[in-house]
Amino acid sequence: MGRAAYIRRRLILMAFVLFGVTIVIFGMVRILPGDPAFLILGDRATDQKAAELREQLGLNRPFLEQYWMFVSGFAHGDMGQSLLYRQPVGDLVLTRVPVTLALSGYAMGLAAVITLLFGITAAVNKGRWPDQLIRIGFLFALTTPNFWFGILLILLFGLTLHWFPVAGFGDTLPQHIWYLFLPALTLALQLSAVLIRNLRGQIIQTLRSDYIRTAHAKGLSESLVLLRHVLRNALLSTVTIFGLQFGFLVGGAIVIETVFALPGTGQLLIQSITARDYPVVQAITVVSAVLVILVNLVVDLSYSFLDPRVTYE
Amino acid sequence: MFALKARWPLMAVAIVGLLLSACAPTTSTGTGTGSNSPTPGASPASKVLRMARNAEPFSPFVPWQIDDNPALFISVNVYDTLLRTTKDGTNVEPGLATKWESSADGLTWTFTLKDGVKFSDGTAMKASDVKASLDMARGGEKSAWKDVYKAIKDIAAPDDKTVKITLSQPYAPLLSVLAMFSGGVLPADMAKATDTKDYDNTLAWKTKGTGAYYSDSWKKGDPIILKRNTNYWRGTPSVDEVRIEYIPDDNTRVLKLQGGETDVIDFVPFSQIAALSAQPNLKAQTFSIQQTAFIILNTSKPPLNDVKVRQALNYATDKEAIIKNVYFGQAKVMNSPIPQGTYYDKNLVGYPYDLEKAKALMASSSGASGFKMDMQVRSGNTNFANTAVILKDAWAKLGVTVDIQTLDTAVVRTNYREGNFMSTPTAWTNDMNDPTEIVNYAMRGGASPFAYWTRYNNPDLNDKITKADLEQDATKRAALYSEIQKIYSDAAPIASIAYLGATAGWRSNIDGFFIDGLSYYRFEDVKINK
Repeated sequence: MGRAAYIRRRLILMAFVLFGVTIVIFGMVRILPGDPAFLILGDRATDQKAAELREQLGLNRPFLEQYWMFVSGFAHGDMGQSLLYRQPVGDLVLTRVPVTLALSGYAMGLAAVITLLFGITAAVNKGRWPDQLIRIGFLFALTTPNFWFGILLILLFGLTLHWFPVAGFGDTLPQHIWYLFLPALTLALQLSAVLIRNLRGQIIQTLRSDYIRTAHAKGLSESLVLLRHVLRNALLSTVTIFGLQFGFLVGGAIVIETVFALPGTGQLLIQSITARDYPVVQAITVVSAVLVILVNLVVDLSYSFLDPRVTYE
Repeated sequence: MFALKARWPLMAVAIVGLLLSACAPTTSTGTGTGSNSPTPGASPASKVLRMARNAEPFSPFVPWQIDDNPALFISVNVYDTLLRTTKDGTNVEPGLATKWESSADGLTWTFTLKDGVKFSDGTAMKASDVKASLDMARGGEKSAWKDVYKAIKDIAAPDDKTVKITLSQPYAPLLSVLAMFSGGVLPADMAKATDTKDYDNTLAWKTKGTGAYYSDSWKKGDPIILKRNTNYWRGTPSVDEVRIEYIPDDNTRVLKLQGGETDVIDFVPFSQIAALSAQPNLKAQTFSIQQTAFIILNTSKPPLNDVKVRQALNYATDKEAIIKNVYFGQAKVMNSPIPQGTYYDKNLVGYPYDLEKAKALMASSSGASGFKMDMQVRSGNTNFANTAVILKDAWAKLGVTVDIQTLDTAVVRTNYREGNFMSTPTAWTNDMNDPTEIVNYAMRGGASPFAYWTRYNNPDLNDKITKADLEQDATKRAALYSEIQKIYSDAAPIASIAYLGATAGWRSNIDGFFIDGLSYYRFEDVKINK
C-alpha cells in the first residue's frame, strides 16, 4: 500500500473518530447541570420567559432530535446558532481558529528550536554542568503551572524590560508575531521540557552505536556526524512525541489565551462552557479534534522523510 | 568529538543571542517610547482612549434589548434618555427633556424636549422618535424590560417638542424609570425595525443615537470602537475615539495598565487598589454604586425557617472583618437590605456584630443543638469564596457547621430556583435610582422569584410594597420604604454584609473618567492630557 492509500484509510478512520467525539461531547455538555435559558436571561428572569426561550432555541426537543440536528447540520457545514450570541456558530468559531492555530504553530516552532538547541547541548555534555543546568531548568518549566509561568514572563519581558507587549493580539501581521511571542514561548517551554529529555536520551544512545564510530573513523567532521548521522536517527521518536503533544498545546492554549487575552478558540470555549452555549462548545471540540487528527497524520507521514526505511502498510 | 564538547555551550549561547537579536527589530518600535506603545489604527493627532474591560457584551446593542452589564455599562454613551441619572445615582436631572410636569391626579405627564438635539448622522431628533423608542421598550417583542414600563397606558407626540405619557395608575418611580438605559432614543424608523426577524447584533452595532459617541460596527472578538459625535448636544467630546478591548483576566488587565498598553481598566481587584494608587503614573478608585453583598438564606429549609436562627446568623456576621479582609476596606457596613440610593434608611440599626446576642438567640431557637448548612459559592468569584471561609469560621461559634460547596454559576442558579440550597453569597445592583426594583424582586414573596429565592413571604409586606409604588407623595413614600426596610431587616431572610463599589484604574494623564451610581461608564467628560 502506498502513501495515498494510507492517507485515504486514515481519513476514513478519522470519520469514525469524529463520530465518537460528537457523541461524547453532545452527551457531556448536557450532563452538566445548569440551564442555558437562565444563564442567558440572567438572575431576574421569570420561569415563563425561560420556557419561551427554551422553546425558541429548540432546547425542549428530544435529545435524539437535538443530536441529529447537530450532526446533520455539521455534515452540511452548518454549525447552528450560538445560544448566547444569537449568531451563526461558524462565524464565531472559524474566525478564531486561525488565532489558536497560529499560537500552537508558533509554540511548536519555538519548541523545535529550543529542543534542538538544548537537547543537543545537554547530550554532548552528558553529566557535566550544561547538561545538569538544562535538565534542572526545564524540570522547573515542566512543573510550573503555565498560567503562572505566563504571568512571570509578562512581568519580566513585558513590564520590566518592555521587549514585548503585556497582552493582546495586535492588528497587523508583524504585530501578531510580536504579540504572540510570549504566549507561544510559555507553551513552548513546557512542551520542550518533555522533548528535550527524550531527544537527549536518544542522542546519547545513538552516539554509542557502531556506525557513529565508523563515521568518526572515516574522519568526518564532528558537526557533520552530529547533524547527518546522530540527529536524524535520534529525531524519530522525538517527532512522534512532538505530534502527540499538539493535543496538549490546544488544551494549554485555553488557559494561555485567557492570561494573554488572545481572541482564540480557547477563550471562547471557556465562555461557552460557563454559559452552557452547547452549539459553540460542540463546534470547538469537533474542530479541535479534526485539527489534532490532521496534525498527527502529518507527523506520521513525516517519518518516511526522516527514515526512508519506513513504509506505510 | 571530545575537542568539540566544550564548544557546544558556546554555540548554544550564540544561537540564543541570534534568536533574541532577530526579535529586536520588531520590539524596538515599541520599546523606545515605553508607556506610549503604538495604538493601531490611530493617527498621532487623534486622541484615542484605550480601555480594557473584563467582559464582552452579548445581547443586541438596542437599549431595551440589552440584558447584560458589559453592554448596558456603555450604552448611555450612545443612547440618551429623556432624563438622566445624576452622577451620584440618587436623583434624576434633565436629559433629552428639559422640563416635565404631571397632572394633578398623577396620571398624565408632559415632557418638553430640548431644542436642536441631533442624531449622530446630523438629522434632527423629534418627539416622534422618543415615542417610537419608548413604545418599543414597553411593548416590543424583543424588549427585555417591558415590566418596568407596565404602568404606562399610552405615549403621544402632539408636536415635535412634546411627549405626553399617560399612566393607567399612579406610578411613583416613573421618572427614575425614564432615566434607565432601556429607554434610550433611536430614530423612529430604526426603533421600529429592531423587532423584525432579521434585525441582528450586526445591524444593532451600526448605531444612530444622540449620545456622545456612536459605533459603526462591532463583531465579537474585536475591540469596540466608539467614535465621537460631533453633533452631541452637550458639546463635542474631547476624546475622538474610545477603543474598548476585552481582557478577561484580572491580573492581565492590571499588567496592561501598568505596562502602558491601556489607559483605563475596570474591575480592579479590591486587593490592588491601594498598590496601584501608590504608583506615580496611575490612579485607582472605588466608585460608589448602588450595590449590596449578602447571603441568601433559604427560609423554607429548617432550621432556617426560624427567624431567631436567621437573626443569630446576622448578629454573628462580623461585617467589619469581611470588609477588611475580603474587600480591603473598599466597602461599607450594610445596615439596610436596600442599596444606598433613594429612600435608603440610614437610621436603620440592622445587625451590628454581637456574638453574645447571637449565641443567646441561637440557644433559644430551633437550631439550639447545632446544625449543618450548605453554602453554595459560584466558582471563580474570589470575593464570595473568601466571604464564605470567614463565615464558616464565624458561624461555627454558634454551632453551625457550614459546608462550603464551590459550584459553577449555572448550577448555583438552577439550585436556587429549585430551592435546592440552604445559603449562597450573592450581590445586587440597582438598575434604577428607586427602591421599587429591589423590593419587588427581593422582598415580595409568593411567586417567582420568591423574594430573591429566599422563599420568604409576608402578605403584609407585599401589600406595603404595592402601596409604595402607587404613593405619589415623596414624604409618605419615604415613610413606607422605611417601614418596608425595617420589616424585612427584622425577618432577616438574608445575612447582610456590605455595600460595595465599582472599581477602576487609569493612567494619571486621563481626566474625568467616572462610574456613576448605577454603574454606567461615561466617557463624555474624559480628557487625555499630555
